[in-house]
Order: sequence, then structure tokens, then C-alpha cells
Amino acid sequence: MKRIAALLDKELADLRGNPAVFVPAIITGIISIVMPFVVAIVVPYISGERLSDSSDFRIAAEMYRSQPASRNLDPEGAIQAMIFQQFLILLVLTPVAGAMSVAAYAVVGEKQARTLEPLLATPITTFELLAAKVLGALVPGVVLVALCFTLYVGGVIAFAHPGVYRTLFFSRALLTMFLLGPLAALAALQMAVCVSSRVNDARSAQQIGALIILPISILLVAQFTNNVDLTSRVILLISGGLALLNLVLMAIAINLFDRESILTRWK
Amino acid sequence: MAFVATLVASHLTRRFDARVAVDDVSFELAAGEIFALLGPNGAGKTTTLRMLAGLIRPSAGAVRVNGRIGLLTEAPGLWDRLTVERNLLVYARLHGLPNPARAVDETLALFDIADRKHDRAAQLSKGLKQRVALARALLHRPDIVLLDEPTSGLDPESARAVRELILRLREERRAVLISTHNLDEVARVADRVAVLSARLVALDTPAALRARLFGSRLLVTLAGDAARFVDLLRTTAADVRANGCTLSIGVADVERTAPAVVRTLVGAGADVVSVVAEQAPLEDVYLRLLQRDAR
Repeated sequence: MKRIAALLDKELADLRGNPAVFVPAIITGIISIVMPFVVAIVVPYISGERLSDSSDFRIAAEMYRSQPASRNLDPEGAIQAMIFQQFLILLVLTPVAGAMSVAAYAVVGEKQARTLEPLLATPITTFELLAAKVLGALVPGVVLVALCFTLYVGGVIAFAHPGVYRTLFFSRALLTMFLLGPLAALAALQMAVCVSSRVNDARSAQQIGALIILPISILLVAQFTNNVDLTSRVILLISGGLALLNLVLMAIAINLFDRESILTRWK
Repeated sequence: MAFVATLVASHLTRRFDARVAVDDVSFELAAGEIFALLGPNGAGKTTTLRMLAGLIRPSAGAVRVNGRIGLLTEAPGLWDRLTVERNLLVYARLHGLPNPARAVDETLALFDIADRKHDRAAQLSKGLKQRVALARALLHRPDIVLLDEPTSGLDPESARAVRELILRLREERRAVLISTHNLDEVARVADRVAVLSARLVALDTPAALRARLFGSRLLVTLAGDAARFVDLLRTTAADVRANGCTLSIGVADVERTAPAVVRTLVGAGADVVSVVAEQAPLEDVYLRLLQRDAR
């Protein structure tokens, strides 16, 4: 653990020296925050038409008002709550967007900078090295999500109907943000690190790691089309699956990390 | 002092697919010794070092190590965005040193770079980077120090500073192995030289290698014509040549023959101005060894 902490400190210090790497994540975060406000607040304000007057939202509003979190909301508030909850999953993409380039660069970057060989000459194990690399990408992403979530809640308190913000503090929303999100990000980052251990070019790792965006987008669409109801139970099940996937990915990453090939065949 | 090996390489061989990078190389390294691994590019020097450091496995053969190893890689490999202090601190913690901050401070002071500890590595000159990398390799007080091209690309002043640090390691009784193709450096610091061209071409002290390939010669300068002493000296040495005031005498052992030559000359009335041992440049030795190996 001490060696993981030592290398993690280095990763975080390195990132502090290169804040530009988080620009994509900040942009993703801003878009993820702004989009639901545009749908739930700005468009009705400009068009002068309340969401609850639209037939598109009526059924969804009734469904939401039947849930404990939204029971006391008026029809407009219930629709806003639905929109703000469903768009939450977009925030899950923020750590992935932020950390993907960091993770993709993790191994191939060290090799290109010729810093990997002295590192491998220390007693550090492959697990410790990869764990520090993945955490070095994940931790800043999770911090960014927490910041985005705070802004999101602040915006909902300021602009949405009274009481809507409370729906963001029910288990479903919190599980999405702080369990499903980090686990999905961890899986994406591990995939990127796996690829980073096998390619000569950080861009390849970045492209393959970015595939994690696909299942998250499918979840988002499935929610909107009522094909999936992301209840707390479903989120816990998906999270359990992701936790297992992360264990498998770590085992694969350790197997794929061939010190000899990295040192002798990469140029 | 008895030769006590701290590192033993036995029949080290490393293949990369069909190519044999290192072929049956054996040698020993003692505490307080500077051992140079000489060879052209692609001769297997870095591969040998990596096997000794445990970074790659030999295809055959073994390495026995008695003590901790410190490795200076060919490139300094510092994290550019981190300060000098932080670079070293990470390594101190990775090595599990009990008081990493103190170890870093002591090492920075030892290498005379304490005043640069808050500088980012990217701001350092190449020579300073190399010095920091050397400090990093020695942070955990290794008994065996492996240095891959330690002065490569450095200006003469920086190269001298690094050489002085290497000599200091010998004084501290550490075993030092330098991989290089800098013959001047080898001539200045190495106790023994191994010439590598995938396999071991030669291994000995620089003086013994010179003697083996070129023989040893004594150059005696006289105050006057030297030719008249040639026949006299042929009783002591077979190969004697005169050129003006200088006698060039081929000898098997300079240290044993020189006093006898001087006594003979002085006894015959010669005025001896100077006596020096003539040394073939190490470059000639190295090139001849490689030419022989290529045949």
C-alpha cells in the first residue's frame, strides 16, 4: 500500500502540474450540467409553455408523482425532478472524459518519457504500479464529479420548483453518482491502462477506453424510452457486475503488462 | 586485498527471437571495484545491465547478487513536471526507506544539488539531470551500482563531475559497473574492462589488455646519442630501438625491467634524462580486440 500511495502522490502532483488535461472533463461536466436546465427551465421559459401542459411529459409526470421522492411535488416540479434525475447519468461520463487521457497515457507515456525503466528497477510490483496509475486517473475524476454534483444541486435549488432538489438526495440518485459512476469510470480506466500497456501510442488506448461511453449512453436512452427503470436495486445489480468486471480487468491488466516487452521492444 | 565478489554473472545469455543479444557472458564484480563494460552500439551492454538489475530474465545463465542494486538508466528518466526533491522522494518511498525526507535531503547534500531541490526537473541542464538521476540510483545506499552510459552527451565539466562521483563510489567500497563506449572515461576510472560484442571478447585490467595486444615498452631519453647503448641493452631486452636521444625497449614487465635498464645504462656512463612506460591508447586496444573478434 505504501508504494501505491507513493506513486499515486506522484501521479496527482504530475496532474497538478498539467491542469490542461482536465479541460475535456470540465467541458463534459458543464454540458452535462447545462443540458437538463435547458430542457427543464430555459425552453419552457422561452416558449412560455409549461412542461406539465405538454402531453409528452404527462404520463411520465404521473409515474414520477407515484414515487415517494416526488409525491409532494406539483406536476411541473415532478417533471423537472424526472428530467434532473435522468440527466444525472450524464454526469457519470465526466470522470471518464477527464481521466481517459490520463489513463491512456499511464504506461505508454512513462515509456515515451523514458521514466518507466528506473521505476521498474524499484521493488514496485505490477499490481502496485497499475493500481497507482488507475487511481491517479480516477481520483481527480471522482472529485470533479462531486464538484459537478454540488453545482447541479445548487442549480436545481436556485432555478427549479421548490422541493425538486430533494429528489436528488434519494438513494437512486446518490447510488448513480457515487457508486455506479466511479465503478463505470474505473472499468473504463482499467481498459485504457490495459491497452496502454500494449500499444506504442497513447491515442490507441484513448480510443479503445472511450468505448465505455457506449453502454452509459445506452442506459441513458433506455431510461428516456422507459425500457429500463433504474431503480436502486437495478443500480446495485449493475454496480455489482461492474465490481466483478473491475476485478477481472485488473487480473487481465496484470497479465498484459509484460515488463520485458515494454522495456526491450518498445521504441 | 582478497577479491570478494558482490555480483557474479554466470554464462548469461539473452535471445530476442532468433537474435542473440548476449551470448554466454561471465564475470564477477568486487566491492570497491570499477568495472567497465565496453562495446559498440548493439553489443548487448544495456541488455546485460538489465539482466543484472533483474529487469529482464536471461534466456540462460544466472546472476548472483550479494547486496542491493542501484541502476542509472541510459536516460535520466526524471518526471519533468515534478521538482528534484519530489522526484527523489517518490523513489525513497518506493524503496521503503524509513525516513524518506531525510534520505532525500542527505542525498541532495551529498551530490551538491540541495540548492536546486525546488526546481522542476524540466528546468535542469542535462548534466544536472544526470546528477539527480545518479542521486536517485544511490538513494537507497546500494552495494552494487550499475551505470548505463553515465556521461553520454554531457559537456566536459559535467562529465568530470559525474566521473568524480563514480570515483567516490569506489572509495565508499561500492561495486560499480559502467556500461559505456567512452574509452577516455574507461581509461580514467576503470579497474577492469570487459569488451563485449554479444559475447565477451576480452576481460582484464586496461594495462594487461594493452600489454597483451601491444606489449609494453619503456621510453628512455638520454642526454646524447642513444644508438651506442642498443647492443648493451640487448642483453636485458630483445627488442631495443634507438631514435636520436631516445631508446624504445620492449619489455614483458615494465615495473621489474625499468630499474635494471636504468642501472645498466648508468653503469655504462649514460646520462638518463627520463624513463616512461609507453602506453598504447585504449582506443587502439579496443579496436584491435573488436577486429580480432570480427575475423
